[in-house]
Amino acid sequence: MSGSMAVEKADQRLTSVYVHFPWCARKCPYCDFATVKMAPEAVPHVAYADALLRELQLRQASVEGRTLASIFFGGGTPSLWDAHELKRVLDAIRGAFDDVVDDLEITAESNPASLTRSKAAGFREAGVGRLSIGVQSLDDAKLKFLGRLHDRAGALKAVHEATLEMPRVSADFMFGMPDQTVEGLTADLDAMLATGVHHVSAYALTIEKGTLFGELHRLGKLRTAREETYAEMFFAAERRFAEHGLAHYEVSNYARPGHESRHNLHYWRAGDYFALGAAAVGCLGSESGASRYRNEPLGTRYLEKAASAVRPSDLEESREALTPATRVQEAWMLGLRTSEGVHAERVQARTGRDVLEGREKEVAGALERGDLTFSDGRYRVPSERWIRLDGIVASVF
Amino acid sequence: MSSVPLERIRNFSIIAHIDHGKSTLADRILEVTGAITQREKKDQLLDRMELEQERGITIKAQGVRLPYIAEDGLEYQLNLIDTPGHVDFTYEVSRSLAACEGALLVVDSTQGVEAQTLANVYLALEQDLEIIPVFNKVDLPSSDVDRVKREVEEVIGLDCDEVLPCSGKTGEGVKAILEAIVRRVPPPTAKVEGPLRALMFDSWYDSYRGAMGMIRVVDGTLAKGDKIKMMATGAEYDVGEVGVYTPFPTLVDKLEPGAVGFFAASIKSIRDTKVGDTITHLHNRAEEALEGFQEVKPMVFCGIFPTDSDKYPDLRDALDKLHLNDSAFLFEPETSDALGFGFRCGFLGLLHMEIVQERLEREYNLDLITTAPSVVYNVYTRDGEMVEVENPSRLPEHRERIEEPYYTVAIHVPSDYVGAVIKLCQQRRGEQQGIQYASQNRVIITYELPLAEVLFDFFDKLKSVTRGYASMDYELKGYRPNQLVRLDMLINGDRIDALSAIVHKTNSFPFGRALAKKLKTIVPRQQYEVAIQAAIGSKIIARETIRALRKDVTAKCYGGDISRKRKLLEKQKEGKKRMKSVGSVNIPQEAFHAILKVDA
Repeated sequence: MSGSMAVEKADQRLTSVYVHFPWCARKCPYCDFATVKMAPEAVPHVAYADALLRELQLRQASVEGRTLASIFFGGGTPSLWDAHELKRVLDAIRGAFDDVVDDLEITAESNPASLTRSKAAGFREAGVGRLSIGVQSLDDAKLKFLGRLHDRAGALKAVHEATLEMPRVSADFMFGMPDQTVEGLTADLDAMLATGVHHVSAYALTIEKGTLFGELHRLGKLRTAREETYAEMFFAAERRFAEHGLAHYEVSNYARPGHESRHNLHYWRAGDYFALGAAAVGCLGSESGASRYRNEPLGTRYLEKAASAVRPSDLEESREALTPATRVQEAWMLGLRTSEGVHAERVQARTGRDVLEGREKEVAGALERGDLTFSDGRYRVPSERWIRLDGIVASVF
Repeated sequence: MSSVPLERIRNFSIIAHIDHGKSTLADRILEVTGAITQREKKDQLLDRMELEQERGITIKAQGVRLPYIAEDGLEYQLNLIDTPGHVDFTYEVSRSLAACEGALLVVDSTQGVEAQTLANVYLALEQDLEIIPVFNKVDLPSSDVDRVKREVEEVIGLDCDEVLPCSGKTGEGVKAILEAIVRRVPPPTAKVEGPLRALMFDSWYDSYRGAMGMIRVVDGTLAKGDKIKMMATGAEYDVGEVGVYTPFPTLVDKLEPGAVGFFAASIKSIRDTKVGDTITHLHNRAEEALEGFQEVKPMVFCGIFPTDSDKYPDLRDALDKLHLNDSAFLFEPETSDALGFGFRCGFLGLLHMEIVQERLEREYNLDLITTAPSVVYNVYTRDGEMVEVENPSRLPEHRERIEEPYYTVAIHVPSDYVGAVIKLCQQRRGEQQGIQYASQNRVIITYELPLAEVLFDFFDKLKSVTRGYASMDYELKGYRPNQLVRLDMLINGDRIDALSAIVHKTNSFPFGRALAKKLKTIVPRQQYEVAIQAAIGSKIIARETIRALRKDVTAKCYGGDISRKRKLLEKQKEGKKRMKSVGSVNIPQEAFHAILKVDA
């Protein structure tokens, strides 16, 4: 086996694990994630951990021969969860894999309102090394509009305390809200970055169907920013982050050097991911394609199903077979979101299919227009064109 | 397959208004004569093309040989020639009728005489056929044979001494119909020993056997191995196969006088099999050819272009092949500034146009952009010369007058809807010719209407104002001068030739404004601002602006979301297939048909 082949084989074995925690203290009006409102005192801490361990046991066979690449506790609001129960699950995941990468990245999402300093310390003790905090805004009026439970002061305190307890901290930020100005946004970013945060996800507010905002928008009762304003804020944020030394490494993500989210990069490299918990989605590849499963979305029903499940499919809501051609499509869709782009050979090694097959003319056209570049074996969309990325991806899809 | 003497051959067609149950009845006849077993049964077996089955209409004529032992104990050979029911395909009906001595006129006993019933009867009378009216759908509770019989007698003037009620659905009455055919349809008259004369009434292309023809042998006999000559094209061939449909293709040694069947002769050049041609033997030629068919003249034209310009040769090839199956449409190369190389194609009507487009896409796997249909204008220049213009963008600058085609349109409708129909026809620049009561509550309204107005959504509007109760027949009346102007559409200042239209002067301003508005809703937003303008001559009469697309990126894309996001992109990609990029602007197919949907 040649050196590069060995690297590719190892690359294909890398598998991330996503654990979903399906409850929040409050449902935000813009959020279309699988989460249900639950009073913090009613959270079934132990039962949920037991259910996850049961699922891990049922899925043990599909973990065989794989290398654990990262773990991400998402939600929902995982910071509502008892750190001790989270640790039980975390340890079991580590133990289930034969092999684990060095310096394993373990992230947990949290909300400023449910993140106390002792909670952060508890998570750290449990093994979590990275916190991702849903700040969203530092403007109290905007926070109210977004239905958040915290205010500016609480958010800054939570982030700052997290940086004292955790090696790596990330904050989520949102732009494109009504009456938001470019100046307001950049001032908020300055304050946020002053806390010492290592990574920021800055998202454009997106109106999703099936949310309260979606419904209000449909009825014409929700103002949103004009597209021009979105675009202006997108570029203003990028400039500000650059001044602070954070690189724009994905459409909505900025990091100080070395602080990129490895878990999310693994998604964007179209890597394999394993999933546990209600509404969690996993996708595991093989020589002939890949299989994506989606678990029962409702937390309470997931608990019931886990109690009696005898095979993994008992927990699943649906399963989708991905052909090599579909996997290549996804590799394009995901890879072009990042500054590292689509690594043609790696994608081919993983999917068994040439990334250019069936799109030779379209890719040539995009290269000619400057929508795509090609260097070091990678196709990339220049970051100044990310604001129109979907159309570019569709043109080579 | 046994042969029967000439006097026991019966060649007949089934004619009907669309949806009166012609194909279902034909299926039932196939079953009763034992031509198909229950196992082979498939609804509307005679509708050969996939498209025909889907739309539930017959487009191509077909001939099926059915052996039948009649009540007199003798075996007869019934040749059933199916015909299309839609007004666009009238020419196929008359071709089929030319191969027959009789016709079953199917009338829906729940409905009555409709526009196409009448039109088909006239075609059959022209061919001097014995017409046997049958009353279908008697299984339905709303069936009223007495009323419909009276209508047939009064409106059409046919004797209904022998009433033949039937149901294509249950098979009731089919036996009596077959006996009536045997009794009433005369056998063919033929010169049995004379030199061969066979009328080709349909032709199509088979990828293994080459061009094939459907024929009716009038005189003499056509056998496998014969050397033949086509009297009009002069082409000579050796006959490789002769056969009949039973309804399954079955080879026979020869086709005897009076018979209907097909032949193949390894004909490579598709232009050699001309529908209406007479086939004779090379060495024992007939003196005189049979009377052929009048060439049908396409009335509706549109441009057809490949979405991907590399596919131009494929499109040409597909049109060539399709033309053999359907000689009624014309095509010639055309170049558009906006759409590149393509073809200007002529059709008999809108349905015909749609069907050809669908067959091109389906059977030849092409992605096409088609322009809005246009009629043929007669344009007189100042030198008194007349030019036929079937592409609005080619309207000459210096002209004395423009004449447009008018149709006489006969609309059959229950009397409650007379007012609504008159209003619609008046709006469409129609001139009333008459109102006639077919029966107490059925009215025939006759109008002369510009064909261009009939093209623009007329039939759909008519159906909607009459709740689907109206039926319509039309024929060309002639040309009339009118105050017509060319309306141009400009995108970012460039005239898009494929969007030009010829409209009536009095309506041109509101029409231009409405079309610009409509286009604004159809053309997707682009990277840059796009201006849509309507112009008459050099005068801009309307402007709409499509704002530039400033943000087109999905904010979040992680593990759980990937499938959904991928499906959205797939959809977007499918949409792009249907777009043509003109200059730097992507224009969807729908935009080229926007003109048909404008209410002004």
